Parts: sequence; C-alpha cells; structure tokens
Amino acid sequence: MTRLIADAAAALAPTCDYTTGCITCGDVAIPMSVMRLDDERGLALCSDDEGNSETVEIDLVAPVAPGDKLLVHAGTAIARLTEEVSA
Amino acid sequence: MKYVDEFRDPALGEVLAGEILGLVEPGHHYKFMEVCGGHTHSIYKYGIDDLLPANVELVHGPGCPVCVIPMGRVDDGISLAHEPDVIFTCFGDMLRVPGSDGTLLDAKAEGADIRMVYSPLDALRIAKANPDRPVIFFAIGFETTAPSTALTLKRAKAEGVKNFFCMCNHVTIVPPLRALLDSPDLRLDGFIGPGHVSTVVGVRPFEFIPAEYKKPIAVAGFEPLDVLHAIHMILTQIKEGRCEVENQYARVVPYDGNPRALEVMAEVFELRPHFEWRGMGFISQSGLKLSEAYADLDAEIQYSVPGIRVADPKACQCGEVLKGVIKPWECKVFGSGCTPERPIGTCMVSSEGACAAYYNYGRFAREREVV
Repeated sequence: MTRLIADAAAALAPTCDYTTGCITCGDVAIPMSVMRLDDERGLALCSDDEGNSETVEIDLVAPVAPGDKLLVHAGTAIARLTEEVSA
Repeated sequence: MKYVDEFRDPALGEVLAGEILGLVEPGHHYKFMEVCGGHTHSIYKYGIDDLLPANVELVHGPGCPVCVIPMGRVDDGISLAHEPDVIFTCFGDMLRVPGSDGTLLDAKAEGADIRMVYSPLDALRIAKANPDRPVIFFAIGFETTAPSTALTLKRAKAEGVKNFFCMCNHVTIVPPLRALLDSPDLRLDGFIGPGHVSTVVGVRPFEFIPAEYKKPIAVAGFEPLDVLHAIHMILTQIKEGRCEVENQYARVVPYDGNPRALEVMAEVFELRPHFEWRGMGFISQSGLKLSEAYADLDAEIQYSVPGIRVADPKACQCGEVLKGVIKPWECKVFGSGCTPERPIGTCMVSSEGACAAYYNYGRFAREREVV
C-alpha cells in the first residue's frame, strides 16, 4: 500500500526530469539576464531566454546591473558572462 | 539561445570530429574520464560517443553528487524527515535515492512533510513562511553548489531565522580524483575536467593530475562542441608529448576560480576528517560540514541522526561504474533489476548518473551495434 502511495506521489511530484537533466543536482548552470535588482537583500530577479524568471543570489558576482548576463546554478549566480569572452 | 546555440553547431562538430580522427594513433586505445555527471549527460544526449573514433573510449567518473551519496546518509535524512513538525527539503533527484529501507519519497508517502526545492534559497523561503516549524535542508553537491548553501546559511544567520537547519552532504572534487588515480585497477589516458565546479575552485586545483600522475586534463563546458573540443585538446597534448591542465571553458572559468565563493565556503564550512562515498568507501577530507560558527544551524548537531553505515546492495556495481572499471551495461542488474523507475543503485537515480544517462540514451546505440 505504501508502495502504491509512493508511486502515486512520484507520478505527481514535480521531480527533476531525467531526460533533460537536473539543474541543481548536476553540475548544470544556465545563462540568465538580470531584470531587476533588490540591492538591500542582495538578490536579483533574473530571466532566461525562454522567459522563465527566478530570484537569484548575486553575492558571488556583485556588483551587477540590469541587463548583465549571469551563469546561474541552484539559485546562485556563480559567474558573469560577457560578450567578449563568450564569442 | 545566446551562449548555447553557437556551441551546438553540427557543422563545427563535424570539423572537430574530423580533426580528432586525425589525432588518434591507429592501434592505440585511448581512455578518457569525464569527471562530471553533467558531461556524461551531454555525451549521451548529443551522441558525442558516436562522433568519436572507435579507439577513443569515454569513462564516466564520480562527478554526480547524488550518485555518490551512501545509503547511510539517506537513512539519516529520512530519520530527520520523520522528526515531529519537521519540513524536510531537498533537490528532486534525492527523493528517489534508495536508503536501506526505502526512499525519501516513501517517507513522504508515510506522512513526512518532504518538499522538493530548486535552490537552498527556496528552502529558506519555506522556513520564513513556516516560523513555527523546523525546516531542514538536505544539502548535496560539489563546490558548484556548496557556495549556494553557504550564502543561504549566512543569510539565515543574518536575518535571524531560527527554524532553518542544514544537513550538510557537500563534497569536494579533488580527494575522490586522487583516490581514483591511486586505484590500481584504473587505466586512463586523460581527464575531461568539471566545468562548473571550476568556476568556483578554478583550474589550479587540478594541476596535481599532470604534475603527479602524468595525465593531461582539459576543463570543459557542457555543450557538445565544448566536450568535443576538450577531447581534441587532450589528444593534441598526447600527440605533442605535453601533459598539462588546459582550460577549454575559459569563457566562464577563471584560472583562480571565484575568490568570493571560496571565501564564503571557508567561513561557513570546514572539512570533515573523512566522508563515505558510494562504492568508493571513506575518503579523507572529501566532505564538508558546517563550521563551529554555524553549529546552531547544523541539523546533525541540533537533532540526533542514526549515523549508521549501511553497506551498498550486493547486486549493485555502482562503485565499479563510478571508478570506470565497468560500463553501466556490464552491471548485473542494469536495465533488469535496476531501472530509472525502480533504481537499486544511485547511478540509475540521477539524470546525471552514468547508468540513467546510458539507460535513456546510450542503450539505443548499443542495440544498433548488436543488431
């Protein structure tokens, strides 16, 4: 019975999709653009190219400005992307 | 997508594959390990294996943090999740990792309040929204993820959040690599180094691989052209008789990493004397725990956990897969007793696990070979 409930929970839970990779568990980071800054709390609202937005910790790459491109892993920007080095 | 599409160009991929063919010596078998689970995933997803000459073999390393979690730590997490009033938070893949008596998902079915989060910050948000209940974050990951946990713990402390705790399972990349290189049953010609771990630690920590073990290494990004380019760089080193650390992912990885991230980690964490790795046993100074200054937020100090060591299941050969001694399909239970839906070993759980990646993508290529 417990197994049945667990299976149902597994089917419903928003688990990571193993066909696309798990952004937090793997060494995966995605490029995002800074939309808005919350200087007081050291956070930024960032958006990826598909329009998904996320609140991102920016301590490791501060200072940042709207429009900056960041590499985001598990809700934290771990590196800054610049046009020159990415080309 | 900018920063992505240009590294998936099939025409450039063909050029690189052609050059790789010109770099290999016929009759010599090359064995390279991709350390990071993200690379394993890319290799299978994009069919990079198929573009390589038959005598270039890729071996999947221990770089998936979910795959290296031993069963005893899962049991400890489940025990914490069953504590009264606790909201237990963890990343999605962790939910399905089997402990000695079920998974976190089973514990959820039994009534424990277990929630999946995408970041430690999400867990802190849950803690702030539920001030009357303790919220425990099950932290896993290499140096890529550890700064994120460290910043969240700093934030919790600064904001005076009293109901947020962390069970720290963060691990470091260099000690397991050294353990692998010291392993007598391992024969490798080079390494594809972890890209995003290196944005934090830099390239410098990998200098010991060419210096002490005479193996070339190229730190690489995760797009298909990144991985092909890294293989090209390693083969070029071998052909030219060089042996050094090269940085294929220089567009993101600075040689010295991210000093601020290292500073934050040094403040919040300290090295454990030893930490158990699935299939690899105890490795000295390979795991992190919260420093004394953060003891108030340490779930392992604030709660009692069983802390019992549980042997890996006998049928499971995750350890040999992680060391690259056998390929996923050579495991006795691969695809039969152990599938992504019903995993026995951790390598089948995470999307970055060698077995799950191979089950989802690679087995089709192998089926073609057999036919």
